Amino acid sequence: MQETLEDFFKALRGSDLDVTLTDSIEAGRAIEIVGLADREVLKHALGATLAKSMDERLIFDACFDRFFSFDAFKERPAGGGDGVNTTPFAMEGSGSGAGSGGSGGQRLVDMLMRQDQAGLAKAMKEAARQVGMTDIWFFTQKGLYIQKIQKQMGSEQLDRDLAQLAAQPGQSAQVAALKLARRRLFEEVKDFVEKQLAMYGTAPTKRLHDEYLQAQKLSNIEQRDFQRMHDIVRKIAKRLSVIHSKKKKQEDRGVLDFRKTLRRNVAFDGVMFETYWKTKVIDRPKVIAICDVSGSVRAYAKFLLLFLYSLSELLSKIRSFAFTNTLVDVTATFDGMPVQQAVDKVMKDVGGSGTDYGQMFMDLQAQLMKEIDKKTTVLILGDARNNNGDPQTEVMKLLHQRAKRVIWLNPEPRVFWGLGDSEMKRYLPYCHLAKECNTVKHLERTMDDLLRVSTATA
Amino acid sequence: MKSLYEHRFNSVAAVETEFAQAQYIASRQIATSVYLAFNLQKPILVEGPAGVGKTELAKTMAEVLEVPLIRMQCYEGLDESKALYEWKYGKQLLYTQLLKDKLGELMEGAKGLAQSIERLHSHDDLFFSEHFLEPRPLYKALHEEAGCVLLIDEIDKSDQEFEAFLLEVLSDFQVSVPELGTIKATVRPFVFLTSNNTREMSDALKRRCLHLYIPFPDAKLERRILETRVPGLSKSLRNELVAFIQNVRTLELKKQPSVSETIDWAKVLLLLNAEHLNVDMVRDTLNTFLKFEEDIAAADERLVNFVGKAREEGALLHARNP
Repeated sequence: MQETLEDFFKALRGSDLDVTLTDSIEAGRAIEIVGLADREVLKHALGATLAKSMDERLIFDACFDRFFSFDAFKERPAGGGDGVNTTPFAMEGSGSGAGSGGSGGQRLVDMLMRQDQAGLAKAMKEAARQVGMTDIWFFTQKGLYIQKIQKQMGSEQLDRDLAQLAAQPGQSAQVAALKLARRRLFEEVKDFVEKQLAMYGTAPTKRLHDEYLQAQKLSNIEQRDFQRMHDIVRKIAKRLSVIHSKKKKQEDRGVLDFRKTLRRNVAFDGVMFETYWKTKVIDRPKVIAICDVSGSVRAYAKFLLLFLYSLSELLSKIRSFAFTNTLVDVTATFDGMPVQQAVDKVMKDVGGSGTDYGQMFMDLQAQLMKEIDKKTTVLILGDARNNNGDPQTEVMKLLHQRAKRVIWLNPEPRVFWGLGDSEMKRYLPYCHLAKECNTVKHLERTMDDLLRVSTATA
Repeated sequence: MKSLYEHRFNSVAAVETEFAQAQYIASRQIATSVYLAFNLQKPILVEGPAGVGKTELAKTMAEVLEVPLIRMQCYEGLDESKALYEWKYGKQLLYTQLLKDKLGELMEGAKGLAQSIERLHSHDDLFFSEHFLEPRPLYKALHEEAGCVLLIDEIDKSDQEFEAFLLEVLSDFQVSVPELGTIKATVRPFVFLTSNNTREMSDALKRRCLHLYIPFPDAKLERRILETRVPGLSKSLRNELVAFIQNVRTLELKKQPSVSETIDWAKVLLLLNAEHLNVDMVRDTLNTFLKFEEDIAAADERLVNFVGKAREEGALLHARNP
């Protein structure tokens, strides 16, 4: 039972459901309490201990059915899934009836000849356990595992027997039947392995793909992964928001501020007519984000916008701008549209060629400077390639003086900063923080920094 | 009064029967969770749409176990002082004023400041004793001698800070009051937490609880619920009514009618002495189970169709099981 349970946990983890150690102990205790007699009760009991939310419960139910239905399927008599072929050896792999008493104990040929379905099923499962079936991750491992399981079940002996049999005259019917049986066995094992892969391999491969995407340069990520990327970024955003965001609440009556109360009531001879309460005022950060969407950063722009979009979901007081040469407010677009649409719209409306950072800074000075104060964080996303125009560093300097923080995220590696028409070196002194940012990992780290500072100093 | 855990449930089925006797028809899933939670002595986090009997479940459990139910309604801004205890500041102040003379007497004959303070020290805890403590639900629950059923309602409405504070309570059933020390439950209360899922609960909290999701009941269960809750209703009308409600739930509505609304409607129909559903009667009483203008309009459109279907189904059930 313990082994089965452990495999089940593994299958759950394979379906992206976290089973912690305490959970598994709980589940063990739950089984002790309710027993194994009633399948439905068992399912509910395990569900209550292992699944922690409605979504997880759905995953759990699906996984439970898949995992424990395996036996039922295998024990179905001939004519079910393998219905097409009705020769005497049609159902080799799937079994029912009395057990064979162990995989090694009986020769595969005998089982095949006797159509010992339970024996075969059991042998297959035991073989699977011995070769570590639950460790399967990739579909490329399928062939390997099929071979391993067959070998473990004694397919080599089967081949030898078959060869022997074929050498004898007058056994052609036997040989044909056995050959067919061998093919059926292969089909069954293959089917089994595929199911196992679906059960154990989904989450690890997905996770691997996610890791790959996170470490990839944004410019290398293809369009078809956009949705996946958005999921990742949103997941990060959600996690960060759980850590950093406080619920919107102006004031919170806390405990009695004794010192203040006493001090205020000195006039009344220490009798406390007026009470004072410690209050917390939560100051939410004000962020102005400006994103370059021009040709030179075209490959990144989409993802920077994606990042910006996620940020705007996260922080309530954020104003988003995009520019190629003039500054355009895109806050409304972000608020009112789903991500893909919003990003495409901004790219279409604002994107173009002929970056002009100077003009952008002029616009910024004209439109926004009065709103920027000691509480504002200014976030600039761009490569600072100004086509040799006037960089307007004066504005940047002013910005540096007024804002709480100026953060520049540059998709180019640090060594390229200042080369060619990049003005990054000239802007650099006026940034509180300037970072290279071209993978999701970078984004996450910066976002974390940004939020941490803005909440810590709030 | 007997203690909470002297009660014994023999099996999951026993939970179902005992709950049924207390007029609560529990599905197998609910019964299993309750049975488990009782034996593991763990809290249950109950989720589900409004009106499916989350709060009722806790009430029934208290009734079955014959212990009091202590209910704590959560809301934004709920903090320790409202959930656990608060000092009666007014009383403390009043007493210090009233006892001014007594203090004078007490101090009589004391030489020097040090001695006076020494004397005061031997009395100071008086003002921070249980007499000056205003107990709130959690404190009461921990102090209940025979144990109790503690219902923490709509936990999702509370703040994260409060949720963190609950963790200590839920895992060890003890809390620390700085002035009094640690208070430990005499008998562990049986805890229900309910959530309408307006906010994701923290993992730590979830880990300490069993999870139970109560969905809308299926037709069979709903008929049984009606049978116990509105016993006067004729069988034919009950079947039709449940079939109708189940149909309404397939619509896209702002607020789906839940069990409590089904019961309300059944009571209304009982008062109207109805024997079968008919279109006019249903139209007139739609507002007992649909609470939004848009929902009523949406249901009205399909009314004739639904009533027809419900009557068909009622006839079918009757034919199968007269």
